[in-house]
Amino acid sequence: MIYSWKKIVRHGLPLLTLCILIEIFAGQILWSNQQKLMLFPIFLISIPVINGVAGNIGSILGARLASGLHVGTIELTIKDKNMQKNLATSLFMGLITYSTLAILIYYIADVGSIEMNIGLIEFVSIVLGTGVLLILIISFVSVFTAFLSFKKGLDPDDVVAPVVTTVGDTLGIVFLFLLIGVVGI
Amino acid sequence: MYAKEMLKQSLPLLIVCGLGAIIAGNTLSAMANILQKIPGLIIIIPAVIALRGNINTTLGSRLGSAYHLGIIDAENMWNDDLKQNIIGSLVLSFLMSFIIGVLAYVTSFLFHVQPDPFILIIIVIIAGGISGLILTFLTIIIIYLVFRRGYDPDNITGPALATFGDIITMLCIFGSAVFVGGFV
Repeated sequence: MIYSWKKIVRHGLPLLTLCILIEIFAGQILWSNQQKLMLFPIFLISIPVINGVAGNIGSILGARLASGLHVGTIELTIKDKNMQKNLATSLFMGLITYSTLAILIYYIADVGSIEMNIGLIEFVSIVLGTGVLLILIISFVSVFTAFLSFKKGLDPDDVVAPVVTTVGDTLGIVFLFLLIGVVGI
Repeated sequence: MYAKEMLKQSLPLLIVCGLGAIIAGNTLSAMANILQKIPGLIIIIPAVIALRGNINTTLGSRLGSAYHLGIIDAENMWNDDLKQNIIGSLVLSFLMSFIIGVLAYVTSFLFHVQPDPFILIIIVIIAGGISGLILTFLTIIIIYLVFRRGYDPDNITGPALATFGDIITMLCIFGSAVFVGGFV
């Protein structure tokens, strides 16, 4: 037997508590904007999507960079061509995924007779704007975390996913309200 | 390490996971009334969902490594290593759920608002505990099916758990809030 539940709990607690603390602040931002969310329930539908996509793309990118660093096809420099290609593909995938899902959400909400109070173009631009900002930041966080943890002798596989999902959840909510303010609804 | 291959393999998965997130989002928007009835309920939602994701994906990836190390396989599933992993995940679920409730209450003072601490903590523990139980067993079922088919668990458990996890957790928060909300 190599696993013990006490060790699993002891190893999990510190990082989980830190992640939870940051997520609670994301929750506080949601609460201070609750009235706005009640007026535009379509954004309630969008929140798990915005955060989920960014977390997934960041984790995929992180896992690929981690494997690349382990195998040696990616070098620990900002000029690495393979790293840049992965980064560009992540941004491109973010664009396609966010546009597709934003349009889907809009029509699903429309069919589900959810109160809209917002046009398709406005909604898609808010979600896409949030998504692009988020993927930009998340990709750099992912590259930075993967490189830094590898340099410090940690396994990027253990570090990148929790960091990326937590940063993604929090910034996703911050950027969403920022974009709602910019579009001015 | 080709970008085209990344696009071909990941993009469909991203869209499918996005559809799962839309279901989770619809559950959240169906909660609009209960969110207004229980002040501060919305604070805990990102944390509970992130908790589930973190606990169950690490469980999945540990079981994946255990498979590669030859410690568990389809014929030899219910051994002590698996049991220790299950206990570890469940203890973390209950412990962290309690911490979420406490943190949500404490941080609210910084924002000069006061939710009811007991209601929040009870809702989080019920939601976190039940979703923890469901998802831990779902993880084991997924791992078992993956073993029997001879696939690499590392490729499957992450996205599968992320997608099911969000939906099941959101439904558990909804159910728990309606249940507790019935008493206030």
